[in-house]
Amino acid sequence: MMRVLSNLNPQTLRILALLLVLTLVILFFSTQISNYLNGRLFNRISSSVAIMALIATAQTLVILTRNIDLSVGSIVGFTAFATGSLIAAFPNMNPLLLVAFSMLVGAGFGAFNGFFVAYARVPAIIVTLATMALFRSLLVEFADGKSITSSLLPQWLTSFPNTPLFEIGQFQFRAAFVVAIVIVFAVHIALQRLRVARRLYAVGSNPEAAEMAGINLKATVFVAFVCSGALAGLAGFMFLARFGNITVVAGLGFELKSVAAAVVGGVNIFGGSGTVLGALIGAILVDLIETSLVRWQLVSEFWREAVLGALILTAVALDAIVMRRLIALRAARHHEKREQKMEGTG
Amino acid sequence: MKRLKTSCAAAALAAASMTVVAIPASAQTMLDAGQEVDMVLLPKFLGILVFDQAHEGAQEAHAELGNPGELLFVGPTPENSVAGQIEIMTTSATQGQGAVMLSNNAGDQIVPSAQAAQDAGTRVVTWDSPIPSGDGEDVFVAQVDFGSIGVVMADMAHSILDGSGQMAVLSATPDAANQNAWIAAMEEALEMPKYADIELVDIVYGDDQAEVSYNRALALVDQYPDLGLIMSPTTVGIQASSKAMQDEGLCEQVRVSGLGLPAEMVSYTLNGCAPEFALWDFRDLGYLTYYTAYGLATGQLSGEIGESFTAGRMGEYTIEEDPGRPGTRRILMGPFTVYNADNVEAAAQ
Repeated sequence: MMRVLSNLNPQTLRILALLLVLTLVILFFSTQISNYLNGRLFNRISSSVAIMALIATAQTLVILTRNIDLSVGSIVGFTAFATGSLIAAFPNMNPLLLVAFSMLVGAGFGAFNGFFVAYARVPAIIVTLATMALFRSLLVEFADGKSITSSLLPQWLTSFPNTPLFEIGQFQFRAAFVVAIVIVFAVHIALQRLRVARRLYAVGSNPEAAEMAGINLKATVFVAFVCSGALAGLAGFMFLARFGNITVVAGLGFELKSVAAAVVGGVNIFGGSGTVLGALIGAILVDLIETSLVRWQLVSEFWREAVLGALILTAVALDAIVMRRLIALRAARHHEKREQKMEGTG
Repeated sequence: MKRLKTSCAAAALAAASMTVVAIPASAQTMLDAGQEVDMVLLPKFLGILVFDQAHEGAQEAHAELGNPGELLFVGPTPENSVAGQIEIMTTSATQGQGAVMLSNNAGDQIVPSAQAAQDAGTRVVTWDSPIPSGDGEDVFVAQVDFGSIGVVMADMAHSILDGSGQMAVLSATPDAANQNAWIAAMEEALEMPKYADIELVDIVYGDDQAEVSYNRALALVDQYPDLGLIMSPTTVGIQASSKAMQDEGLCEQVRVSGLGLPAEMVSYTLNGCAPEFALWDFRDLGYLTYYTAYGLATGQLSGEIGESFTAGRMGEYTIEEDPGRPGTRRILMGPFTVYNADNVEAAAQ
């Protein structure tokens, strides 16, 4: 067993470990909560994680380059509102054009962040902390006290996220979830296979070496923020479609949830390693824990955040310890093998 | 002769005006317009429709009273509502504002800054949501009697559930003073024999955020298979719950009720997801709050219990003790409207 594990690559190992934790969490809550294990649980989590999966992916792109984006929540809120206003004003607009609009708005915000981080060399945590408030205030100003309600939106938009594309037993695969999964996998494959996308890892794991290798650091970081903004914009579109009612608090707190999802999913907060697939499972795990805690009678409203925080901390710590063990084990075995070889030749 | 006539008329007029002056001195104050005083309208946070409606009402009163001073509408952004409210309260005192009109979202944490404001000569009038302890507050302009909201919610539950069934509450934030008071009032009302077959199974909080409220509503349905009604005493929560039930096709099984804006609720009321809900007029609330604050800040009202005044088009109001918070003062606006399929469309216009 140990031999098999230690021969797997660390990324795969991490994803397996996360799936194990996910299973354990589900088993734990199924002993605590009645009517827990059924198709409904899957439908709930999958519809709600569709939005967070995109935001966690956006966050991962930026974290990989040793940065962070605390303004994603505000970007999601703003694009959701702006997209809602646009479709309310032009109800016959082409759906693809509307999606393009929300991604463009998001990318614009991302470019703003990226400019200050990459070219003005202000630390990302400061830039995005500022723009988190700035973009939110822009939304308050833009909204002017109005809110978007689902009655202003065309039918196709509000019914899109919940349209079941196919069903397996009790499990419904709804449009929003399937779209989100397809996008996450596309980004995952791009990050693993495309040379251009690999630059994000290079810049994050060793900027000096990356520069020596001829990678343009500034442009890479800038592009990471723009892509992240575009994905957050798309999440804003999905948010609008799912909730229909948009006020100025839309997307509040998403920045922390997305960082939590990425970190729980094994994305290194110091950049350079991690996968968006991991971030997706991280998002599912955080969402699952949150949803289950609401139904867990033992924990009161006031303690829920604290319990969620503690669980995230435990997950990350456990993951770090187990991974370190396994890596050490692997190194030891390599060492052993080499020594055997040396003895053989000697 | 002509001269005599005019002087007679003048005397009569003078006598008449004297009696006019004499009566209000004993019972009721007509507020003198045109005095200059700067005032601040401070909502829980910016960007929610009902607070902007309150602002419109205050602006109407501001124009009507011909106050040459300034009416500022400032509020925190949603993510730092509590800290932002305290900061604005403190700043208003140092600026020497005549009055702050506050919809309190900071619980008793606002007390020190509100008391400091009072010490600096700024009057503190709360509206929509009071300071729970009443410290640092001159008077609370209550939209409706908090106890009667409880009865109205219990009645709506009774009519929607047809007398018996399970209901759950989806509120705003766990420390919102107004929602907590209404829920407590409803729980008290539910003790009455009329509601004996209605069971309140849970109270959850959606933080006045659409996505949180939406997920909480679905979690309630999953948790309580026999749930018949979600009661949401917040405009954000009622709308999100209705949307959630509609999206999941649960409207036949679980109805939604509570406090909502007709314009936002009309489709859910007509399709049966939220057959009945209630609300008061936030424009009127802003208008009455402005009159009260203006009277206090210009020294025309002292803020004592029993004092009466005329608030423009809305008529006469009296300062009384707040039955929900002994030792504190309130002005009761009332009444409110229950909306259903018959009247919601007209109100939504």
